[in-house]
Amino acid sequence: MKLFRSIFLGVIGLLSFSVFAKTQDILIKNATVITSSEQGTLDETDVLIQGGIISLIGKDINSGGALIIEANGRILSAGILAPVTNLGLIEIELEAQTRDDRTDHYSAGFSISSAFNASSTLIPYNRTAGITSAIVFPSSGRGDVFSGLGSAFKTHGKIDTQPIATDIAMVMQMGGNRDSRASLFLELEDAFMKAKQFKKSRNIIQRGGFFDAGEYSERDLEALLNLIEKRKPLIAKTNRASDMLRMIEFSKKHEINIIFHGAKEAWRITDQLAEGNIPVIIDPMDNIPSSFDSIGARIDAASLLTKSGVTVLIGIADAHNSFLSRQGAGNAVANGMDQNEAMKALTINIAEAFGLDDSVGSIEVGKDADLVLWDGDPLEVTTFSDAVIINGKLMSDMTRSKRLRDRYLEVIGLK
Amino acid sequence: MILNPKYSFLITGVTIILFGAPNIQSQINEKELINYAYESTYEPETSSKTIITNANILTGRGDSILDASILMDKNKIIAVGKDLDSSDATVVDAEGKWVTPGIIDIHSHMGVYPAPSLRSNSDGNEATSPTTPHVWAEHSVWTQDPQYTLALKGGITSFHVLVGSANLIGGRGVTLKNVRSRTVQGMKFPNAPYTLKMACGENPKRVYGGRNSEPSTRMGNVAGYRNAWIEAQAYQRRLTEYAEKSDEAKEMSYSPSRDLGLETLVGVLEGDILVQMHCYRGEEMAVMLDVAKEFEYKITTFHHAIEAYKVADILAQNSVCAAMWADWWGFKHEAFDMVWENTAIVDQAENKTGCAIVHSDSAVGIQRLNQEAAKALAAGQKIGLDLNKERAIQWITLNPAKALGIDDHVGSIEPGKMADIVVWSHDPFSVYSRAEKVFIDGHLKFDINDPGSFQRTDFDIGIIDPEGDRL
Repeated sequence: MKLFRSIFLGVIGLLSFSVFAKTQDILIKNATVITSSEQGTLDETDVLIQGGIISLIGKDINSGGALIIEANGRILSAGILAPVTNLGLIEIELEAQTRDDRTDHYSAGFSISSAFNASSTLIPYNRTAGITSAIVFPSSGRGDVFSGLGSAFKTHGKIDTQPIATDIAMVMQMGGNRDSRASLFLELEDAFMKAKQFKKSRNIIQRGGFFDAGEYSERDLEALLNLIEKRKPLIAKTNRASDMLRMIEFSKKHEINIIFHGAKEAWRITDQLAEGNIPVIIDPMDNIPSSFDSIGARIDAASLLTKSGVTVLIGIADAHNSFLSRQGAGNAVANGMDQNEAMKALTINIAEAFGLDDSVGSIEVGKDADLVLWDGDPLEVTTFSDAVIINGKLMSDMTRSKRLRDRYLEVIGLK
Repeated sequence: MILNPKYSFLITGVTIILFGAPNIQSQINEKELINYAYESTYEPETSSKTIITNANILTGRGDSILDASILMDKNKIIAVGKDLDSSDATVVDAEGKWVTPGIIDIHSHMGVYPAPSLRSNSDGNEATSPTTPHVWAEHSVWTQDPQYTLALKGGITSFHVLVGSANLIGGRGVTLKNVRSRTVQGMKFPNAPYTLKMACGENPKRVYGGRNSEPSTRMGNVAGYRNAWIEAQAYQRRLTEYAEKSDEAKEMSYSPSRDLGLETLVGVLEGDILVQMHCYRGEEMAVMLDVAKEFEYKITTFHHAIEAYKVADILAQNSVCAAMWADWWGFKHEAFDMVWENTAIVDQAENKTGCAIVHSDSAVGIQRLNQEAAKALAAGQKIGLDLNKERAIQWITLNPAKALGIDDHVGSIEPGKMADIVVWSHDPFSVYSRAEKVFIDGHLKFDINDPGSFQRTDFDIGIIDPEGDRL
């Protein structure tokens, strides 16, 4: 196995220029393929990539001139998605000039997509650890409720990166604050009422009539209407079980799709979540009762949720280490979650919740070839990626952090 | 008042008269009085004889003993090895599982920044002046922080509670055993040395610079430390001069007034109090070593030390430990140059004489310090450094014990040490491993198979449901 690996790495070395520069068909041979699809895990399986797309999955596939990566039994998984992240929006949290995740001007309609920085150092770093797509959301908008709209990006880091999907969901904050949470629900009601009035007034507005958008801009109201008309999900960041129940009632009344984020007490209302088909985005490692809204936080929440039929998406708040969602998933498994469910919670569940599952989230023919070859179990903390492929292209594994490491290994005399 | 004889060995410095006890009116050292007044009251109940059998032991001394037993009695480890005499001992069959010393976190704010995080219990930073050596973390500790029991489930048996990093000199830290008590004295690690929290870099200059007061720069920081040490040296001289006076001369003069802050700084100058310094950048660590040289004190550990790998040889030459995360970074500029191999490089520097520690600074991280050590180990092995689990377990056991001055008592599985022991469900360097059994001073404080058995904090009781406990 070691020999194969060195040959493989050698090949990358020799071909590095051409391999990284253009699309080439790739055949990954003899992998243990965790598909994140109904196919489950396939042993000793080949995956052929042509034109950036997964074209064939099976045994003994003919390479037909494709670059061969000998997996030799190593695990191949779908690239991991970061479900709600500031990746590409933040370089250094305490330096305002490196942050683009907040606005004082817009609210519900704050589209974050034009702020995405594909050259951020966070991107290659998280990519080498398995993140191939990031669903990027603002952290806060004007006012206490709406933060704005998120978009999805691949993490290949090309300077001209375009979103693979724009303004796919809206994020809002809930929970204990200076103002009563009852006021927050009234504000939500008022915002949706205003959006509906706005819809009725569109003709008048087009003819030059006046519409009083109140504290919202027309952009904000359009975004709210999209939640109703296009069924784009509204992500509610909250931890308290009672908040989630009220929000479920609200979503039924206004016929909108919701996703809960944080959701530390979601395990207390699994029936309602399962019945409403409402996904939750959680960090399984964060079991701290950090406020009176999250007193029910517990380490086995992911397991309790999946066993009750709730769709779990795993993501962590820290953009810099978005990839630690893998450690979160591993801890969820250690505390009772099924291993396959945990892999899905990092991949296909995220793609489905955000309507990206036509192209990403699983290893299936016809999907984008966003794949990671691992040197061990991807949920294990001691595992590294051996190869990351995005849109069928083998990505460089270099990061700024590795450059610093190599420089100082010499200075310290360890190399 | 009866003087505790265990302090009689202390060298007499300044004398003060104890009033109110005329019959045994005694002259005692100020240090003795302080230690006596605030000393640990933790005394474990006598534990019965217990033997852990069929254990694969990572000893914490740098080696492992496979398929062996650990005999504990009267709160201590009695023997480690094969074929131990286990007559009348309760047998705990480890079933071939890994056993390690109790995990020690050298950087925690549990108790001073407890959960839930409330304005009213945020007690970790006396951010009202950049130099506050007079405050003691133990006087902020909330004994009912629910984070303690979460940490216990992660195998944490001792932890060091620091004040925050808002100040250049923040105050004294305290080492606690992870035992439940109504009082902080009942949690204090018996006879652990006091520590002093100091902080480099961005935090003090941001906090005070933001108020348009000194320090607002790194050079302002360094001037602040030096001024404080100059004052401390002057105070130390006054104390010495007075102590050296004849009895008659003493009667003719006043003793120097007590100064809480300077007493702590003098404690550092005399080597009794260990400096635990928050410092990220390599060159700042080197500057702090210069300051320590100028004032002849020792820095025990640089905490966070994101750039320790850039000066790992200098740290090893000066016998200074670095306490690090496996992978946190980027929250501020001084945390931007993180490398996964930081811990491994510190460990291996200068012919493997470096002192590497993995710390948490987090109530989430403290629950899985073994996983953080595993990440750091894997990163080092990935680039071919000569590391193994036997060595890496020291990053979360013996090395933090040394850096806290408690390594005579904990940090390794050796006869005579406190019986603080963790039995793990799997290889502790795996994400799937959980602490199955956690012994503190020979008492089984947590047993994963008997979740009702461990002692909840007051906070956990009836908080979600009056009939039940939180977890």
